[in-house]
Amino acid sequence: MSRAKRVMKELQGIKDDPEAKIDLQLVNENDIHLLKGAFLGPPGTPYENGKFIVDIEVPMEYPFKPPKMKFDTKVYHPNVSSVTGAICLDILKNAWSPVITLKSALISLQALLQSPEPNDPQDAEVAQHYMRDRESFNKTAAFWTKTYAPLNSHAEDKPVDQAELYGIDRALVNQFVSQGFAEAKVVEVLRRLGIKSMNANDNASANKILEELLK
Amino acid sequence: MAYSVKLSDYLDGDEDSVILEFESDSEIDELGEVDEDSSHSYSEVNEFSDGPSDKKDTGGSRYLDADQKKPSWGRGLTEMAYESSGVPKLAYSCLTTDQMFDLILARLERIQPIFEISYGDIIVMLQKYGWSEERLLEDWTEDQERVLVSCGLKLATSSNRSRGIQDHSDFVCNICCESNKQRTFRLECGHEYCIECYKHYIKDKLLEGKIISCMSCSLALKNPDIDAIVGDNSSQTLMRSSIKGFIHKHNNHYKWCPFVDCNCVIQVTNISALSEFPRFHLSPFVVCNNHHRFCFKCGLESHAPGDCQVAEVWVKMAQLESANLNWVLKNTKECPKCGVNIEKNGGCNHMTCQSCEYEFCWICELPWEGHGGGFFECTRFSKDEKNGATETKNSLRKYTFYYKLFSEHENSSKLDWALGLAVEQKVRALQENIGISWIETQFLPESIRSLIEGRTTLKWSFPVAFYSDPSHNLTKIFVDNQALLVSAVEDLSQLLQVKDPHDIIARKLEFYNKARFVQSRNRALSECGRDLLCKRICVPRG
Repeated sequence: MSRAKRVMKELQGIKDDPEAKIDLQLVNENDIHLLKGAFLGPPGTPYENGKFIVDIEVPMEYPFKPPKMKFDTKVYHPNVSSVTGAICLDILKNAWSPVITLKSALISLQALLQSPEPNDPQDAEVAQHYMRDRESFNKTAAFWTKTYAPLNSHAEDKPVDQAELYGIDRALVNQFVSQGFAEAKVVEVLRRLGIKSMNANDNASANKILEELLK
Repeated sequence: MAYSVKLSDYLDGDEDSVILEFESDSEIDELGEVDEDSSHSYSEVNEFSDGPSDKKDTGGSRYLDADQKKPSWGRGLTEMAYESSGVPKLAYSCLTTDQMFDLILARLERIQPIFEISYGDIIVMLQKYGWSEERLLEDWTEDQERVLVSCGLKLATSSNRSRGIQDHSDFVCNICCESNKQRTFRLECGHEYCIECYKHYIKDKLLEGKIISCMSCSLALKNPDIDAIVGDNSSQTLMRSSIKGFIHKHNNHYKWCPFVDCNCVIQVTNISALSEFPRFHLSPFVVCNNHHRFCFKCGLESHAPGDCQVAEVWVKMAQLESANLNWVLKNTKECPKCGVNIEKNGGCNHMTCQSCEYEFCWICELPWEGHGGGFFECTRFSKDEKNGATETKNSLRKYTFYYKLFSEHENSSKLDWALGLAVEQKVRALQENIGISWIETQFLPESIRSLIEGRTTLKWSFPVAFYSDPSHNLTKIFVDNQALLVSAVEDLSQLLQVKDPHDIIARKLEFYNKARFVQSRNRALSECGRDLLCKRICVPRG
């Protein structure tokens, strides 16, 4: 019973504090079980100017058990699955305490965007990118933010550049596309091999890519 | 060797006795006293087998007639079996969780005077320190205040707020958001919530065995707090579950029984002996109070005659192969003529091999011609397993062969557990219906134990056979021993199906003899398998 009262109070609390720029709404007026939360990407990060929507499921035992949260918006971040939006954050698991609210959990997610923990990754491919080449990672993350989390929701309808989406050097993709391979296939192979860019005379890698493409 | 003749009766002896040791890293070797009777018995055993590797073995006689020379006592035969050849023996005892907790308390008793605070508080500190008494003592002597604060036993800054249950007329709890709460709880930190929420919060955490702190900060709830909030002596539940951390820290001395729903803890008191086992290709098997037999080193169930390495390699291999293999075993059969795997894709049992065009019956694997046509149901099912596959060159086929046998015996063991429960009922029926004393019915559970141990040994003898050089004479003897144990086990298994209580009593002697026979065959097979390992005829490789 306490769950309903608590969730209603939390909703009111967020309404009373517009300064926090956190949004929380019931998906369905009569069901306190499912909510959607949203917050802005922290300034000074590749997530700046993005609006991130989080899918929230409040369990029966709430607030004694943590809510289940995952990103609805696609996020390029080491601790967030780039496919499912699943989040790796301790307070949503064993470090949960009943005093944590949905609002403070959302703020923690915002802080997670600010300071990733690549040593405890949710998405290994992204985490590797983050560790190896921060500049390229930031570019890709910013591109994802622009593509999937635009603040002004006039979503662009033009197709997404697949190479940019995975932080792969455009010239590298073009090199193989010009040889007659489909772009999607080239991107898929490069992702699988974990190659983002390549030295012009690195023949070993080029051969490996060709071999994979011809399989 | 010094350790071979002692502690024999330790197992059967006083199970309530708790052995204390202060320093976890020190080893206590001298525990039990030498029992006159059992040392006498050992000398008897000594006659029939000496050193594991000092014999040139050409014949199987030593395994085959083991049962005739067997000394005349029953229980714990397998435990004694290896002792004779001067190999190490483990001194261990089985503790319940309560005894385990008493043991921890007794340890605390020795360090408590240093701290001069309550046991509950010391346990809180030890949990914080991962049960490392050394580290805690070191930090404690350096700065008591800091340890108390870091463990949540004291606030960093002094507070004039009182601790405990508070009474209000109208309190709004921030957890459940209910108003008009009368009773609340807070620690000195001042984070105050209603009793109901606190109760819920604590109950969820009682079995985790970790420190329960204030919901908002790291100040720890002490035992009196927990009891005041939840009642029912709940702090004891928490304290008891804290033994998990202790066992985890001291896992070279203590191990949980790995069997499902078994809460026994095995304590080994002479861990120096543990390192002696691999040399003899032996494994430190222990038996808990619920008669679960497992290996103290690798935590698997008893895997004799194989050693830990055989078990490890086999299990790894089985994990890799089993998904494929299970499917193949379930859905295909080999063509009886050419050996190609055939998947049955329809209901008809009249099969035609695609590769050699042999026509046969899916069920009995005999030529279709003899079926007289029209009958799609085979009545000629025969149980005869094909022999000779041991020699096959195809390694996957060889592996499949052994894996099949392994998993068959695994399934049988599971069924034997069920049989065990049925036997228990029979025993009770015997006591009630015929009025026989408890002691006289003990042959039944003893038989089932022999059966289960025999099956487990059989099961693990297949990995040993798999890794052994098939051309060697000793391997052949091993296989013969396997066959003997199989027939002994099946014989006993059949006898245990007898339902009528009068009949059971009438055949008591038969039960005894068959169980004994299984035990001796079991021991013979184990010894033979160990010989294979010692002589490097059986070499496990992944």
